[in-house]
Order: sequence, then C-alpha cells, then structure tokens
Amino acid sequence: MKVYHDIVVVGSGLAGLRAAIAAAEKNRNLSVAIVSKTYLIRCHSVCAEGGINTVLRETDEFDTHAWDTVKGSDFLADQDAVEFFVREVPTEILRLNSWGCPWSRDDSGKIAQRILGGHSSGRTVFAADRTGFHITHTLYERLLTYPNVDKYEEYFVTNLVVEDDTVKGIAAIELKTGELVFFEAKAVILATGGAGRLYGFTSCSHIVTGDGTALAYRAGVPLKDMEFVQFHPTGLVPAGGVLISEACRGEGGYLLNKNGERFMEKYAPEKMELAPRDIVARAIWTEILEGRGFDSDYGPYVALDLTHLGEDRIKERLPLIREASIKFAGIDPVEEPIPVRPTVHYFMGGIHTNSRSETPIKGLYAAGECACVSIHGANRLGGNALAECLVFGRVAGELAAEYALNAKQGKISAEFRQKEEKRIFDDLLGKSGDESPYQIKKELNETMENYFWIFREGDGMLKGVKKIQELKERYKNVEINDKSRDFNTDLTSAIEIGYMLDLAEVVAIGALKRQESRGAHYRLDYPKRDDENWLKHTLAYYTPEGPKFDYKPVSITKWEPVERKY
Amino acid sequence: MVEFKIRRYDGEKSYWQSFEVPAKRGMTVLEALYYIKENYDSSLAFRASCRMGICGSCAMKINDKPRLACETQVLTLGNTVKVEPLDNFKVIKDLITEFDGFFEKLKAVKPHLIRKDDNYAEPKELLQTPEELNEYYVFTLCIKCGACYSVCPAAATLDEYLGPAAMTAAYRFCADSRDEGQKERYEIASSPNGVWRCHLAMECSEVCPKNVEPAKAVQLLRRKTAFSMLKSLLGW
Amino acid sequence: MGVSGWFRFKGRSLFSWAFTFQRLTGVVLLIYLLAHLTYLSTLLDTTGATYESMIAITVSRQFLIFDILLILCGVFHGVNGFRIILHEFGIAYGYRKPLLAIFIVIAVVVWLYASYIMYSLTGG
Ligand SMILES: Cc1cc2nc3c(=O)[nH]c(=O)nc-3n(C[C@H](O)[C@H](O)[C@H](O)COP(=O)(O)OP(=O)(O)OC[C@H]3O[C@@H](n4cnc5c(N)ncnc54)[C@H](O)[C@@H]3O)c2cc1C
Ligand code: SF4
Ligand code: FES
Repeated sequence: MKVYHDIVVVGSGLAGLRAAIAAAEKNRNLSVAIVSKTYLIRCHSVCAEGGINTVLRETDEFDTHAWDTVKGSDFLADQDAVEFFVREVPTEILRLNSWGCPWSRDDSGKIAQRILGGHSSGRTVFAADRTGFHITHTLYERLLTYPNVDKYEEYFVTNLVVEDDTVKGIAAIELKTGELVFFEAKAVILATGGAGRLYGFTSCSHIVTGDGTALAYRAGVPLKDMEFVQFHPTGLVPAGGVLISEACRGEGGYLLNKNGERFMEKYAPEKMELAPRDIVARAIWTEILEGRGFDSDYGPYVALDLTHLGEDRIKERLPLIREASIKFAGIDPVEEPIPVRPTVHYFMGGIHTNSRSETPIKGLYAAGECACVSIHGANRLGGNALAECLVFGRVAGELAAEYALNAKQGKISAEFRQKEEKRIFDDLLGKSGDESPYQIKKELNETMENYFWIFREGDGMLKGVKKIQELKERYKNVEINDKSRDFNTDLTSAIEIGYMLDLAEVVAIGALKRQESRGAHYRLDYPKRDDENWLKHTLAYYTPEGPKFDYKPVSITKWEPVERKY
Repeated sequence: MVEFKIRRYDGEKSYWQSFEVPAKRGMTVLEALYYIKENYDSSLAFRASCRMGICGSCAMKINDKPRLACETQVLTLGNTVKVEPLDNFKVIKDLITEFDGFFEKLKAVKPHLIRKDDNYAEPKELLQTPEELNEYYVFTLCIKCGACYSVCPAAATLDEYLGPAAMTAAYRFCADSRDEGQKERYEIASSPNGVWRCHLAMECSEVCPKNVEPAKAVQLLRRKTAFSMLKSLLGW
Repeated sequence: MGVSGWFRFKGRSLFSWAFTFQRLTGVVLLIYLLAHLTYLSTLLDTTGATYESMIAITVSRQFLIFDILLILCGVFHGVNGFRIILHEFGIAYGYRKPLLAIFIVIAVVVWLYASYIMYSLTGG
C-alpha cells in the first residue's frame, strides 16, 4: 500500500508531536502524517518526571542558562546552538500553558520554578512530578485540533528511503494487519528517541531502541558523539532500572554499602549523597567493583536507606517513590532500604544535525533524543532534554514545512517496494535459522554493560567490539518463530535488535577511539579531559563493513573550556 | 514456580495456554510475560512500553481484575495467575485489543483548551492559582489505559457510549479556569452517547490504576451539563 | 457485548452487583406494574367477582414467597436508587463505599421487617 503526505513525522514523543504541530500550523494546506510504533501518547516521553529548564523571569538570564549547559556538557556542546536554544524555550513553555498544560503554580498563579542539579538558579518548570507525561498529553491534545494531521498509530518504521541525497519517504509495517505501507513524502522528520535499550539495565521504556537513529545511519547520515551515554545513579534493582529520583537523597536518604558504611564520605565528603549525578554513579559503581555491594538475583546493588526518616516523613514527602518501590519491586522503603545501582538514562549522541535540525540529506530533519545538535555535548543537564525536544521539534517542523512547500513529492519506486517486502517478509520473517533474537539481545546487553558502562578501558572495549561484531554476524542467522502477519511483535522485536546491533557498534568503536575522559565518557586508562586532541565531535558513517569515523570541531562562541568543577 | 494461564487468540481461535514461570520477589506480571516471550513462546503478543505505570499500554485482566501488568507483583497473586485481554474491547491478538475507537471517543469530546484569544505566535502567560489547578488536577492523571472502559456496564451494552475516560477528559477541560469551551463540550456530553448513559455503577473508579475517579468526573460533568441545559431552556 | 456485559461479576466489586441488581429489580418491578394494572383493570367487571377471586390467590400462603421477593425488589430498588440519586447530585461521592454498605444493610433490614409483617398478615 502507498500513501502520500507532504511531511511525515516519525515518532510521537515530545519532539515528534511538537514537530507535527509546527508543520501543521505553518501552513494548513500541508498534509502531515505522524507515525509511531505505539499509540501516540504511549511514547517514552511520558516517563520524564523532573522538569524542564527555561529562563522565565527577570531574575535569570539566558547567558547563565547557556553557561550552565555548556559547562555541564564538559564543553563539547556547540555554543551557537546552545545560545539559540536557551532563547527559544520560554515561548514554548507559555505555548504549552495556553494549550492546557497543568504547570505547577506559585501562590500568585504564575508558573512555578525549582532548582535541579547543575544549575545556578531555580529555572526548572514542572508539572508535579509528571512533567513529561503532562507535556506529552498537552501536545497530543493540541495536535487533535489540526485537521491536516493524520495519525498513523502502531506503524513500525522499517526503512527510510533516500535517493540522490534527497529523502523520498519511509516504509512501515502496519502492525494490526502486518502489511507494509509506503509513505511518499517531500520531507521526513525523525523523532524516534534514544537508544537506552542497548543496555539491559535502564530507566528507558521498552520501545527506546534507537530505530530512527539506525535508519538514518543506514541511509547515509553520520551519527554524532554516540559514545556519550548518561547514567543516573539510582535505578531500582529488581525492576530493571526504573528511575528512583534524586528527591530521596534530597530528603536525607543514605547510600550504604554491604558493611553499612555511608560510602559517599570517601568520594564527596562535603556534599555526600547530594554530589552531582556522575560522581555519585561512579562512587556506587566503585563500591560494587570493589566487592562492597550487595548481591542479588537481579545483580549487585547498594542500599538507598530511608528507614531512618520514619514512616510519617516517607509517607508525607516521598509518597510516589514509596509507591513505585512497592509496585515495581515489592519493597516498602519504610521497612527496608531500596536496592539501587546506576541505570542508563540518556543518549547524548545521535543523528548529526546542524543547529537548525537539518541533516546532510535534503528534506530529512531530526529532533529530540535521536538527534545530536549538539546542545548536551558530553553530558546533559537534567531538564534540558524536554526543552530540546520542544525547541528543535518546532524548528524541524517549521523548516520541513517551508521546504515541503517548494519541493517535489517523493516517489518510491516499485522496485524499492518489492525489495523491501522481500527483505522483511522473505529474508527475515520467512527464513529459518538457529539463532534466537532474544539470546542475541541478551548477550548484547551484557556486552554493553561489561565493557561500555560507567568505567571504560581500552582492552575491555576491544573485547566488547569483537563481541558485538560476532553478534552482528550471528544475527544474520536468526529465526523468527511467529510466522503470522498480524501484530507480529516477534518480528518487530527482531528488527529492533538489528537496529541496536548497528548502534552498539558505533557506540563501542567511538568509545574505544576517544582516548580521553569527558563528561559521561570515563576511561580508566585516560582519566583526564584532553582538549588539545579531543575537543571535537565524533562522526560515524555507515559502511557495510562497519562504521567509518571522522571528527568535527566544536563551535565555540563565548566560553573557552575550563576545568569543570562544582 | 508460578503457573501463568494466558488467554490467547491468533485471529481465528481463542484458547488457554499455560506456562511455568520461575517467579521471584520483585517480579512484575509484565516481566513474567517478557520471560515467557523470550524463553518459551515468542509469538505471545502484548503491549508494553514504559514499565513504570505511566504510558497506559499494559492494562489487562489479571486474575479477573483489570490492572497494569507492569504495576502488579507476581507474588501477590498466588500460585496461578490468569491473564486475559480487557473486556469491552475487541481482541486483535492474544492480549492486544483494539483501541482506535477508544481514542476516537477521546477526540470527540474536544479534549483541549478552547480560547478565543488563542495566539500561536505570541502566547501570553495565563495565570492559574494552585486552588484553581486543584479543581481539575486529579482528572489530568488519566493514562488512557482503558481499564475503566473495560468494566463499564454501559459501555458493554452500547458500543458508541463515550465511556468514563473520554468524559473524564471532557470534565477536566470544563473545570480548567483557562478554558472557554464549556458550552461546546456540554453539548457533546448531552448527546445520546454521553453522560445520560451512565448509570453510576461506579466500577470504573474501583479499577482505575491511577485513582482518577472517573465516576466522579462523569457525575460532575453530568451536573454541569444539566444546569447548562436548564439555563438554555429557561433562556438565561 | 450486549446485556450479558451486566453479568460479569468475576473480579468485580460490590458496585457491579448493586448495578446489576438495580437493573434486574427494575425490570421485575416493571413487569409487576404491568401485571398490577391488568389486575386493576378487572375492576371494570363491576360485580367485583373476578377481582375478588384473583385477590384470593395472591393473599394465599403459597403466594407469600412471591410477595416477599417482590418486596425485596421494591425495597432494594428504592433504597439503592436513593443512594444513586444522592451521588448523581454530587452528594457524598467520597463516601461511596461505606454508603453502599450502609444502604445494602438498610435494604436488607427493611426487607426482613416487611417480610415479617406480610408473614403475620397472612396468618402467621
Ligand atoms: C525516567 C526518565 C526520566 C526523565 N526525566 C527527564 C526530565 O525530568 N527532564 C528532561 O528534560 N528530560 C528527562 N528525561 C529525558 C527525556 O524524557 C527524553 O530525552 C525525551 O522524552 C525524548 O523524547 P523524544 O521525543 O526524543 O523521543 P521519545 O519520547 O522516546 O519518542 C520516540 C517515539 O518514536 C517512536 N518510534 C521509535 N521507533 C519507531 C519505529 N521504528 N517506527 C515508528 N515509530 C517509532 C516511538 O513510538 C515514540 O513515539 C528522562 C528520561 C527518562 C528515561
Ligand atoms: S480513568 Fe483510570 S482506568 Fe480509565 S483510562 Fe484513565 S487511568 Fe485508565
Ligand atoms: S508498560 Fe506503561 S503502563 Fe505498564
């Protein structure tokens, strides 16, 4: 089947929804499609809790927000992009307000703000502790008012069609029927989110498998800075890494090792448990590596102890964390400590775009976590991701609309369509083999966790790269058990695993090549930041034999790199 | 070992299938389903995404009650766990049900702020006190999981009935101090598939995993709708 | 799904029972009302003979059980209906659970008392 739209947006997280709205608003005659492998509001963005950063009042300044972001990024962020970004957020917040977002308020009725780690003032806007959830729903509801937007829910994108460096459209499986649908378009916007699921222990949703990133990569767009993976120090252990927010430590929770010691004494004697995320994450992991963690069926952990706070305080101040712990892990923090260890949280890297969301391919735009503008550099500040989705989603939508108004409708050739049908249904679904995709995924997760975790080191990473390449070879021989067509989640999982293998290779080799420690990328064999040789972005290009690497200078406008101290 | 009895459907026939899952403390029903999919039968189809109770994908009937699989601990359920798709929805495959209609109904109630001064280019800061926010906040917490709809006896007898979740969304916006679209929504609510179909069985509020109290929203919407009808009848 | 949707009680709370019972008692009362009107229409026979003969059946001991069930329907429908009306006017929504329990108890007590009176009236 074939459908036509002027603009196709892939992904319905904050970035995708915002892009679709921007494009539809720009010109009501443009037909916009929004395609997602889940129902639109079931995207991953609903998980975001903490908030979103913006300079909203006179007491704060754009330059301080920008500086905090640049410093947080360990100076790998492109400063021109950051300067543009911080100025665009406030309008987005007010727009969301007039579209119905239930922002938390101060007593005078104005939008309230609070302070998050790494910021020099309270500039985080929030909607209780469900910020991502409320923004997603608000954008979704707003999207419903545009008659020129068509929703394609539960369509799994399998390919991006590019010819002569120009985008032509996408191919997607309509899950309900199992049919391949080809979307011919003038412009395509990728907003498919991060790739946290490369790791088994992550705070990301099950759908965060880096699909769009891999599609762009295969279609010839370079991936930027993929080796930078952010960890959050406290993921809930039995629950596969569900986030336990900083609020626990803010309220006075202790981190304890097996010997009952508050080990943060050794790593950050002043700030203790409230030290920056990366320091706490490294401290926890050091304790575990040195044998002072607890063991469990779900892997090692340290204890996040709240019991001394007492039942009343926990129930009053941390009700949601208590609820999460009981529901997802079966543990009541009133009675026993919460088992935690660092969890994969965010991918700084992604599809290479310029500071206006444009990729090197004509008509192809990327926004949100799947893209790398880059404003997060080597380490993202809490609350900047949602802001990025809104700002660059909007930019992508508007530019795509402008482009589409003057571009020719893409055509997908019959030959391509046949090839794609064959690739998916004959070569993957129809084939027999002796590998289980889930076994490969399991081994991939283990490899990533063993060698590309919080501490990285040359020899280990070399082993990891080999293992990933072996898995890629084995993947060619997978068999999908479910041979039916309708709602074949066995098939889509297998395709996702294919995407993940490609990305894993880029992360792995990129990390191996970067011989320094910067932001979230921490190497035991190169523990220092090296601005002389490595103040540059990694670019990985697809070749059938594996990624080819190139580097690109960082754009610096105002702030020369200095040591990052808090 | 816990026995999982799963109601399956392959597009033609519907049958029960049992699996033994090594359950340990901390395991959720969703994790057990993944365990089954990855180790025993990869054709098992179910929806899931966030696995933290916020995306609304994984509502299903677990031991006869609609719950979120990702929020339900296996060990609280005994030695046998029965898993079925939600009632009142058409089953597509195994635990996956058709939600298109559910979202269409949501759309039908105009779930967005309606304002005459809507200005995309230059939005201004609309104020709202915390008290005004509290008027409707609890109703914004709906994750559109469909649990309420699946137990609603009015929805069981009338497919077109808007249902608790959609009407909760309608009320949520009517009660928002920033909104000016009440009239339009009262009209929709008083349509033949709207508030008057609700007979206050209130089971929806019993099963809602987010404690949204949809029955309360429907009932408040109904009161507002009635007043607005009365007003227009009396020509006020 | 149709009306069978009313009869799925597995895993449901007391509220679902109350709903279904309300519907069923409503139907029974409707049928009763029709029967009642048919009865009264026999009064058109001005001699009163038909009426008398029919009354004779209904006040009989054998018929008591139906009367008691009928009272149950009436009492439940009324009392539970009152509860629903309260909630529909937005009253006491927060107390819906205790209220349901209380109203069911009230319905049962009233029903038992009424049944006892009926029983005594038919000659004890
Ligand atoms: C637990 C948690 C808490 C967080 N808290 C915060 C916070 O407080 N503040 C902050 O700023 N950031 C936070 N973040 C980060 C932030 O949530 C994400 O970076 C952001 O939501 C990403 O949004 P997105 O629009 O790029 O993509 P996503 O929301 O991930 O959406 C991706 C979309 O792409 C679709 N898609 C993917 N692949 C395909 C395919 N093959 N075919 C079709 N569709 C596809 C998916 O269905 C989905 O709709 C948090 C992240 C986590 C994990
Ligand atoms: S009201 Fe509750 S049960 Fe109904 S869809 Fe919303 S969250 Fe689910
Ligand atoms: S998986 Fe998202 S609600 Fe359960």
